[in-house]
Amino acid sequence: MWEFATRSLEASTIFTFAALGELIGQRSGILNVGVEGAMLFGATLGFIAAQLTGSYLIGLLVGLAIGALLGLLHGFFSITLGGDQVVSGMGIWIVGFGLTTYIGNPYTGPLGMARIPNVFGLSPFVYLGILLVLATWFLFSKTSLGLRIRSVGENPAVAEVSGIDVARTRYFSVILGGMLMGLAGAIYGLSYNPVWNYNFLMGWGFIALALVFFSMWNPWLLLGGAILFGAMWQLSLSPELVLPGFLSRYLWRTVPFVITLLVLFAMSSKWFRGRWGAAKPAALGEPYIKG
Amino acid sequence: MKLGPYRLQLQKRLALSSAKAGAISLLAIVAALALFSLLFILADVNPLTAYQKIFSYAFFNRFGLPLTISRFAFLLLASLAFILPFRAGLWNIGMTGQLYLGALAAFAVIFLFKGDPATGVRLPPALLILLMLLAAALGGALYAAIAGFLRGSYGVNEIVVTMILNFIAFWLVSYMIKDGGMFMNPGGRGESFELPAAVRAPMILGAPFTIYLALLLALLITFLFARTRIGYEIKAYGQSPAAARYAGVNTAFLPLLVFLLGGAVAGLAGYHYFAAVPGVYKIARNYGFFGDLAFYGIICGLISRGHPLAAIPVAFLFGGLSIGGRFVQGELNMSFGLDYALLGVLMITLVAFQFFFRYQIAWIKTDKEPRHVGIRN
Repeated sequence: MWEFATRSLEASTIFTFAALGELIGQRSGILNVGVEGAMLFGATLGFIAAQLTGSYLIGLLVGLAIGALLGLLHGFFSITLGGDQVVSGMGIWIVGFGLTTYIGNPYTGPLGMARIPNVFGLSPFVYLGILLVLATWFLFSKTSLGLRIRSVGENPAVAEVSGIDVARTRYFSVILGGMLMGLAGAIYGLSYNPVWNYNFLMGWGFIALALVFFSMWNPWLLLGGAILFGAMWQLSLSPELVLPGFLSRYLWRTVPFVITLLVLFAMSSKWFRGRWGAAKPAALGEPYIKG
Repeated sequence: MKLGPYRLQLQKRLALSSAKAGAISLLAIVAALALFSLLFILADVNPLTAYQKIFSYAFFNRFGLPLTISRFAFLLLASLAFILPFRAGLWNIGMTGQLYLGALAAFAVIFLFKGDPATGVRLPPALLILLMLLAAALGGALYAAIAGFLRGSYGVNEIVVTMILNFIAFWLVSYMIKDGGMFMNPGGRGESFELPAAVRAPMILGAPFTIYLALLLALLITFLFARTRIGYEIKAYGQSPAAARYAGVNTAFLPLLVFLLGGAVAGLAGYHYFAAVPGVYKIARNYGFFGDLAFYGIICGLISRGHPLAAIPVAFLFGGLSIGGRFVQGELNMSFGLDYALLGVLMITLVAFQFFFRYQIAWIKTDKEPRHVGIRN
């Protein structure tokens, strides 16, 4: 049971990192549906870098760097070129899925390094994740930078007039967001599941994307959602720890996805939609062309 | 940028002729292939040799060409499944899940009626093949309908929903064909039972009939968009759901309808791959690898800008590239997944080229003397 709790908290951490990255970008008005692609890149390149150098730190940094690069790419397509953000995000996802399949294949198999040691019985990333939630909350509710990010996500034209550089603020947000997604992938590939395999994420990024919608762009609600989904994901991976012999293991794997669908459905109720609409960054997904 | 009296300027396109759009799409593909040659260079392979091998195997080799044609039909069906909702401004990225459900439904028909010692089935094979096709279309359609219904009636984002349905369908297939699942092969190899010879898809002129079916569907969908009321409503909704609503389109029903149609076509893609491609006739252990190829449908649909007829040559080219890519990967000892890497490179190039669909670069002749005198310029 303890093992289940620690593993599920680590899973929650990965959801938290990726979803916070998405949340920061969305708060600035940029939707990135390519979370899964950025995570796959972070996981695969981080895995390869760590295996080649024998250093976890380098692996994590590579994950961070590739995430930043993909954030920059998404920013270029959606901010500078003013393109459709969904198309660009789909591009990031498919290029991540396609290229990592090819690049990672020679490294199929376990990482072959000593596991990252736990701190007080938990993965060190769990503490980092909680700190990050705190930092994000602080950023958005207590700093002028956070206010600037929120204002370009709500009404870029007004923000521009009041002296905020919309493009720069948005670039900052998507690159920071991309870094967190890449790092989330690297944590997955280096610590949570250090065995590389074809498309080994199987939906983490898409659940993280859904978590941002569930959280109503609030980091604390996001953390709560991530903890629930982490536990559910872990349950679906190793149901025998909690409910041995109940349901096929393949059906268990569908459970987090089915629940995601049910939550999406519940959130479409009128009561929710009013609150959700109020919380949603008004300019989310809209390209902004400086007038 | 300035060059003598000329200045380089970006202009927003007001209209884009289909010839120009086609030229841009072609340029995007050429650029992607050029970019992709980096991967060959990194693997110490001459890109020209590699492309020569890819094209000659895919389009001129007597082993490669039938594979290309089968892959083409699969990609065309996947593209059409993407295009139907796409013209209504909706994103169906759930072709993978829909084709799994289509394949499961088609196999369920045989599961129910197998057993006769002579032919292996208890109903006339022709009837069963027809039933399999209907079941595949129905399975895909009903599965996609979840996304269409949630979108139309409750405004739930269809991208997230179709993707989530993909994962659910993936595990459902595992459940059915592995670990003692209902469709498991009696040999216990973690794959489905094989279709009895009598109910395998008949061949016409050396190719499975599903290829003609895919081409026919492309024509029908073109007709649907060009000549029918439903097609008009789909396009109107794609332009502006609010305006379509004022024009009398049922905006709750329309998303459901396009997903039903798209899902039915995707279900047929599942039938094609697992019940009609020669040499397969079962849901293999690594079915995920075939299912994920359906993502090529997104790229075909985007490059052909939602036109079913334009999707035909694009799907044929991509079918050949993915088959040829898989071939040279073995031939030249390259890493596995070359066809997937190509998928990625094509997609990202296409995203960059979206820009040229909206803007053009023009040389503007500027006057030497500025005329900015007074308050008006």
